Amino acid sequence: MSAQDLVPASAGPLSPTGGGLSRTRFFLSNEFGLILLIAAFVAVFAFTTRGFLSPFNLFSLGRNSAVNIMIGLSMMTVIVTGGLNLAVGAIGVCAAMVCGWMIEVLALPWPLAVLGGLALGAALGFVNGWMVVRTGLHSFIITLATMSIFFGAMIFLTRAESFRAMPEVFSAFGKMKLATYLSPLLLVTLACALLLAWLYRFTVTGREMLAAGANPAAAELSGINVNRAVILCHVLSGVLAGLAALMLVTRNGAAIPSMAGQLGQDWLLPAFLGPVLGGTLLKGGKVSVLGTVLGAFLVTMLTSGLLMLQVGAFWVQTFLGLMLLVAVLLDKARRSYLARRNLA
Amino acid sequence: MTATPIFRAEGIQKAFPGVLALKGVDISLHPGSIHALLGENGAGKSTLIKVITGVHAPTAGKMYLDGAETGFASPRDAIAKGIGVVHQERNLFPRFSVAENIFLEQLADSWVRPVDYARLNREARPWLESLELDIDPATPVSELSVARMQLVEIAKALSLKSRVLLLDEPTASLTSSETDRLFTILRRLRDDGTSLVFVSHKLEEVQEICDRVTVLRDGENACDSRPMQGVDRNDLVQMMIGRAESGGAWRHRDTEAQPEVLGLTGVATALGHRDIDLTVRKGEIVGLYGLIGVGRTELAKCIMGQFAVTGGELRVDGSAVRIGSVAEAIHRHGIGYISEDRKGEGLILQHTVLENAGVPIWRKLARAFGSLSDRRVEGVVTPFLRKLEVKTPSLAQTAGNLSGGNQQKISVAKWLAAGVSLLIVDEPSVGIDIKTKAYLHDLLRELADNGTAILLISSDMPEMIALADRIAVMDGYRIRGEVANTGVYRDISRRIMDLIHGESAARAG
Ligand SMILES: Nc1ncnc2c1ncn2[C@@H]1O[C@H](COP(=O)(O)OP(=O)(O)O)[C@@H](O)[C@H]1O
Ligand SMILES: [Mg+2]
Repeated sequence: MSAQDLVPASAGPLSPTGGGLSRTRFFLSNEFGLILLIAAFVAVFAFTTRGFLSPFNLFSLGRNSAVNIMIGLSMMTVIVTGGLNLAVGAIGVCAAMVCGWMIEVLALPWPLAVLGGLALGAALGFVNGWMVVRTGLHSFIITLATMSIFFGAMIFLTRAESFRAMPEVFSAFGKMKLATYLSPLLLVTLACALLLAWLYRFTVTGREMLAAGANPAAAELSGINVNRAVILCHVLSGVLAGLAALMLVTRNGAAIPSMAGQLGQDWLLPAFLGPVLGGTLLKGGKVSVLGTVLGAFLVTMLTSGLLMLQVGAFWVQTFLGLMLLVAVLLDKARRSYLARRNLA
Repeated sequence: MTATPIFRAEGIQKAFPGVLALKGVDISLHPGSIHALLGENGAGKSTLIKVITGVHAPTAGKMYLDGAETGFASPRDAIAKGIGVVHQERNLFPRFSVAENIFLEQLADSWVRPVDYARLNREARPWLESLELDIDPATPVSELSVARMQLVEIAKALSLKSRVLLLDEPTASLTSSETDRLFTILRRLRDDGTSLVFVSHKLEEVQEICDRVTVLRDGENACDSRPMQGVDRNDLVQMMIGRAESGGAWRHRDTEAQPEVLGLTGVATALGHRDIDLTVRKGEIVGLYGLIGVGRTELAKCIMGQFAVTGGELRVDGSAVRIGSVAEAIHRHGIGYISEDRKGEGLILQHTVLENAGVPIWRKLARAFGSLSDRRVEGVVTPFLRKLEVKTPSLAQTAGNLSGGNQQKISVAKWLAAGVSLLIVDEPSVGIDIKTKAYLHDLLRELADNGTAILLISSDMPEMIALADRIAVMDGYRIRGEVANTGVYRDISRRIMDLIHGESAARAG
C-alpha cells in the first residue's frame, strides 16, 4: 500500500507534527497568552512605578518567582493524575524543619541535612500517594487530612520553635546575586522545570504518569502500573515542595514553622495559579511545564508590581483569587472556541 | 411516499485542520422514510450527521428545512427545530440515572422548582418499555452494559419526538434480538411520518430496513440520495469502496502438533467463572463464542491478571503461572488484550495517535534512565499503522478526533507493534466497515500463520466461523462445549446454538 492510501491527499505524510498547524496552535495557546500578558504588565509597571526594573527589584522578583514556580510545579505533578495535593505547604514546611533539625540538633553537615529534608518530602508524598491508591478516595480528601496531620505533628515535635542557627552557606546562597540582578535560586528552579519537561516528554515514567492520569483503565490494560505511577507523582510533588521550602530557608536564613502560614495554606493560591494559568488540565493527562513556569512568574510579578503601587497586601490576595477565577473562565472560553473551530 | 424532501443539504463542506472531511456533500431526506447513510470508516458519515445536528458548523454549503434555508447555532437549536440524533459516541452522564439522562434537555426548564423524580421515572418508563428495556429508570447509567447504554440513548432520542431522527451506528453493540426490536420501532416511526437516517456497516440490516440511500466515499457523494430499489449489495459495496468485496474465507489450518501457549484447567475466578478448560496453541485461532454478558470479557480480564484466578491451573507456555497484574501479563508473559470498549479501555482519546500506538512498547524501547524519544516509538509503530491503513493527518493528531474505525485500527496496531505471543481479541470488528473488517480478518489469519496464538471473542457468528479453528462456547460463566470449525456456516452455527440452548434448557429443566 502506498502512503497515499494512508492519509487524505490534503494532509502531509504521517509526520510527527502538523507543521503549520502547530504554529497556529501556539499562537492560540496558553503559553503565548501568558507571554503577552507578562510583556504587557512589565510595560505597565515599568511606567507606573519607580524602580520596577531596578537590579534590586529584579533580584527579589527572581527569588520570589523561584519559590512560587517550584510550588506550582509541585502541585502540577499531582494534577497530572487528575488529583491535587492540598498538603504541598505542610510537606514543604516539614521538610524544611527536618533539615533545620538535622543541622542544629544532630549537627550534621548541611548537604546531608538538605538531602534529609528532601527525603522527608518524598516520604510524605509517598504516604499521600499510597493512601490515595489504597483507599481509592480522591486525593482531595486524603491530602486535606494529611495536611493537618503533617502540620500538626510538625508543630508538636518542634514545639513551634524555629531553627535559626543555619550555616552561613544558606543565607549566602539566598543573597547571592549573579550579574547584579539574577538570583541563583531561579536557576535551580528553571533546572528543575527543564528536568520535569524532559521527564514528561522524553521518559517512559513521565509518559506513563500522563497516560495513567488521562485514562487509568486504558493505561492499566496497556501494561502500565497505574498505582505505581500515581504514587510516583505524589513522591515527586513532595520532593518539589521540600525544595521550595528549602529555598525559603535560604531566603529567611532560618527554618520557621509558620513560613507557609497556618497548615501551609499560604502556598495553596500560588500552587493552583501556576498550573491553572499555564493550561495544565485539572482533570489530568495533559501538562504544560512551560505554562506553569510562566503562570507562576506572572503571578509573582503582579504581586510585586501591585505592592509597589502601594496596593494593600489583602487587596493583592483578593486580586489573585479573582485572577484564578478569570483564568479558569477564559480558558474555558478559549477551549470551546477551539473546539468550535476544531483546532483542539 | 412524498416527493418533497423535509430536509435537504447542498454542497456541505467541513474542514478540520489537515483534513477536508466533507468536500461538498448533498443529501435529501423524505418524510416517512428510512434513509441509509453508507460509507467506509472515515468517509464522513458522522461528520455529516454532526453538521446536520448543529454540533459542527459547516465550512460551506446550504441546508433547507421544509424548503426554507436554515442553519443550526447549536445542538439545542437543531433539537428545537425537530432534528434529533443518536451519536456514534456515547453521550450519557454515567452517574446520572437513566431517567435523568433521557430527560436531560427538559430537566432544566425551571431552576427553582425541584425536579419531580417520581414523575421523571414514570415518564421515562414508556420509552424504555417501547424498546423492551427492562431496567429501573432510577438506575445510574454507569451500571449498565454497553448495549443497554446504547438503547438508553436511543430511548432518549425517541423521547424528543423529532421529525428528523439520525442514528449513527445505533446497532454496533446490539444483539440481533435487540436490533429487531429497534427496527420494529423505527418502522413504526417511519409509518408515522418521521424521516429517519440510519448508519450501519451491516449491509444486511440496511437492506432489511432502509428504503432510500446515500453513499459517501472520502467526503464526497459516491451516489446521490436515491431509492433503495434496484440497488443490490454488490452495488452498495462497489460504491462504498470503489471495487468489489474481497476478504479471504475460512481455511483449514494444521495446529494439532503445535505447543500450547495458553492453558486453563478447571479454572475458577473471582468474577464467578467455574471449571473453565481452555487451550490455545501456537498459531491457532480459538474462538470464544457466547452472547453479550456471559463472562467472556471477564475471563479475558482474569487471564490478563486484572482480576484474580481463584482455583484451577493457568499455564503459559506450559508452565503454571500466577499473573498478578496486567503489566506482568504483558511484559513478562507476552499476552496482549484488545478491548471491546476502545473508548473506555482501549485508547486514551485525549492523547495523540503516536502516544496511543506506543504504550505497550515504551518500556521495551526505553534507553538509559528510561529515556525515550518520539522518533524511536515512531520507527516501531509506523509500519503497523501503515499496514492497517490508519487514516490520520499526522501522528500528532488527537486519537479522539479520528473516526471510529480508525480508532479501532490504532488499538489493534498497538498490539501488533508489541509483538505478543498470545493476543486476546475482544469484539474486534464492532463499528468497522466491511473493507476494514475483511482486512482485519486477513491480518489475524496472517498473525496466526506467523505463530501468534489468538483467542477471539466475538458475538458475530459469521466472523467467528470465518476465522476460528476451534470454537469454545460460553454461557453463564462456564464453557458449555467446544466445536471444531469446518467453515460450514449452517452446520457450525446450529451446533453452537445447540450448545447454548441445550445447556440452558437442561438447567431450566
Ligand atoms: N473533530 C475532528 N477533528 C479532526 N478531524 C476529524 C474530526 N472529526 C472527524 N475528523 C476526520 O474527518 C474524517 C471523517 O470522519 P467521520 O465523519 O467520523 O467518518 P465516518 O463516520 O464516516 O466513519 C476522518 O478522516 C476523521 O479523521
Ligand atoms: Mg462514524
